[in-house]
Amino acid sequence: MNQPLPFINRRDFLSKTIAGTGAGLVLGAPNILRAADPGSADTIHVALVGFGKQGEVLFNCLRNIPGLHFQAVCDISAFNLKWGMGQVRAFQRSSPKGYADIDDMLATEKGLDAVVVATPDFWHSPHTVKCLEAGLNVYCEKMMSNTIDGARAMVKAMEKTGKLCQIGHQRRSNPRYRFVLDHLINGQKICGQIVNINGQWNRSLGSSQDIGGEKLHASTIVPDDVLNKYGFKDMHQFRNWRLYLDLSGGPISDLGAHQIDIFNWFLGAVPKSVFASGGNDYFKKREHFDNVMCIFDYDTPQGGVRAFYQVLTTTSAGGGFWESFMGTEATIKISEIASSSAIYREDGAPPWDKLVERGFLKRKPAPPKPPPSADSVKSYESAPPEGFDLPGGFNKPAHQPHLENFFAAVRSNGSVKLNCDARHAFLSEAPIYYVNPSALTHQPIVFTTEQLSV
Amino acid sequence: MKTQLIVPTLCAFSTLLFTACEKKAGTSAESTAAPEAPAASGGSIGGVPLVTTLPPELIEGTPKPIKVPNLEPAPTKAPEFRVPAGTELLSKGKKVTGSDTNPIIGTLDLITDGDKDAGEGYFVELLDGFQWVQIDLAKSSTISAIWLWHYHSQKRAYNAVIAQISDDPEFKTGVTTVYNNDYANVSKMGKGSNNPYVETRYGKIIDGKGTKGRYVRLYTAGNTSNEMNHYIEVEVYGKAS
Repeated sequence: MNQPLPFINRRDFLSKTIAGTGAGLVLGAPNILRAADPGSADTIHVALVGFGKQGEVLFNCLRNIPGLHFQAVCDISAFNLKWGMGQVRAFQRSSPKGYADIDDMLATEKGLDAVVVATPDFWHSPHTVKCLEAGLNVYCEKMMSNTIDGARAMVKAMEKTGKLCQIGHQRRSNPRYRFVLDHLINGQKICGQIVNINGQWNRSLGSSQDIGGEKLHASTIVPDDVLNKYGFKDMHQFRNWRLYLDLSGGPISDLGAHQIDIFNWFLGAVPKSVFASGGNDYFKKREHFDNVMCIFDYDTPQGGVRAFYQVLTTTSAGGGFWESFMGTEATIKISEIASSSAIYREDGAPPWDKLVERGFLKRKPAPPKPPPSADSVKSYESAPPEGFDLPGGFNKPAHQPHLENFFAAVRSNGSVKLNCDARHAFLSEAPIYYVNPSALTHQPIVFTTEQLSV
Repeated sequence: MKTQLIVPTLCAFSTLLFTACEKKAGTSAESTAAPEAPAASGGSIGGVPLVTTLPPELIEGTPKPIKVPNLEPAPTKAPEFRVPAGTELLSKGKKVTGSDTNPIIGTLDLITDGDKDAGEGYFVELLDGFQWVQIDLAKSSTISAIWLWHYHSQKRAYNAVIAQISDDPEFKTGVTTVYNNDYANVSKMGKGSNNPYVETRYGKIIDGKGTKGRYVRLYTAGNTSNEMNHYIEVEVYGKAS
């Protein structure tokens, strides 16, 4: 299901990802020196659609990518719009044009090449389709849409217009993930047969609270008529659209989609079924489940794979967020956080000394052996697997490589492929749309071809 | 720039207590930013506790790693600090100026408006690079403490935090530096001996050391999450002359 991956050799990987852990603080080059010349033929002219929290995250990556000129910012919130325009002004020392409405922006702005969409999920599809049909290349945040039909419309628009449409599953461009897939799982077959996958995103209660609280600053309030025009009932919905059934897919979509995408990408397969359970066990008034657990079953050329995933919003226990690929010879635990990533060799698997010598892996210091305990119970455990670190750190913001891939593709006229275009994103996301229905009905769903097709 | 010798203020006991108390805090968020430890104590020998209304906890988004040397542990409670009896909040509603006259978002008057909430609209964001804000206390005053909140909805450390006091609005003469954690001298004003710290809802108390001056100037050079400079609130405590 995946496009061939652009090759990243080990030397490139290591040289590009050595962590910048020097303690010294050096101010970066002044922004104006990093901003693109808007008059240059090589400059890509960009509009930013949606400048909430995620829009800001993306802009903080975009500003590191050479050759981009930010021509326009669009947001229905006057506060967000001012903030976005201010961020751009701070970066390129010239103010972009500002719009509250995307149709006005598309009708007015000339010379745009690309749009970065970071609006709420239920606007992803309409905004992406409009921009593609206006002849622009689009980078759109995941989840593609709050509905599978919305996602289908994005694929169709991309293929009809021939423009580029990258979906923001940013791990697909993360050098650590690509190295693990290309060199360790596929190249070295280091896991043996992958039989099970486990993944989680456990978020603490403090990070799961409603945004905005009870006391909104007057400058941030969007008038009711504007909110209603754009599909929000009130400010709570505007700030917390992730909590509402009609506006998003909830935590399994908001958080889980990133990681279930990795399950599918690494296996090169889509699941044949899902069985899920979820509930509002803490946030009782929220429309979406506050915790979801699900099991996907796969048939792969290597054999069957069973994958468990949980998203919890009341605890960060278990180390936050990661994915674990458990094979007969090794388990790879991988995350966007380097310290949460490692590989464990099963007792009896071939030794990895040569892989360590060649820089594929780094040996972890042996943990101290615990002293015998008087109250220990004798048992027949397997020998614990030997742990190794994955090479390299990652010294860029998490979303930057994915945006770099998008703009490299825009610039290349076809020679650089997107790491996650809308069609491949759809194939990976489609099963996720059935997790909540399975949990609601307490029934497994065996996928039909039609369910997972555009 | 001339820096004066700082003499710690000694003071007597007092019956004065500031109005205070902690607002009921929201649920606290787990942080990966830094180890946590009890707040440091300090201030005048004797005196009265300095207390203010603390903002509720509001943590949003995923924290970014804080990679700075000698990072102070993040506090788990309000800092304990004693000030001379009769000390007052001098900065509420006072005029604020700054090196960035056209902030990215917010306005400079938010810095002394008395509201320490962390959410959108409650802070001012200044341009990247080395920037300053300056509070005019209207009268030359003896300053005991500066309590400041840069931004506390994400755990982060601000670079090159420097606090100065002077009677000269241009800060060319009679300047006393009461705090400097610019370990890399990005300010070109000299390396500081204070340590970087994590922003929390508890804020940071800087010892004013009884320094006299009408103006308080605060500097930063971006933070560990992005290049911008932020202020939610600054409270200057002391006695007007």
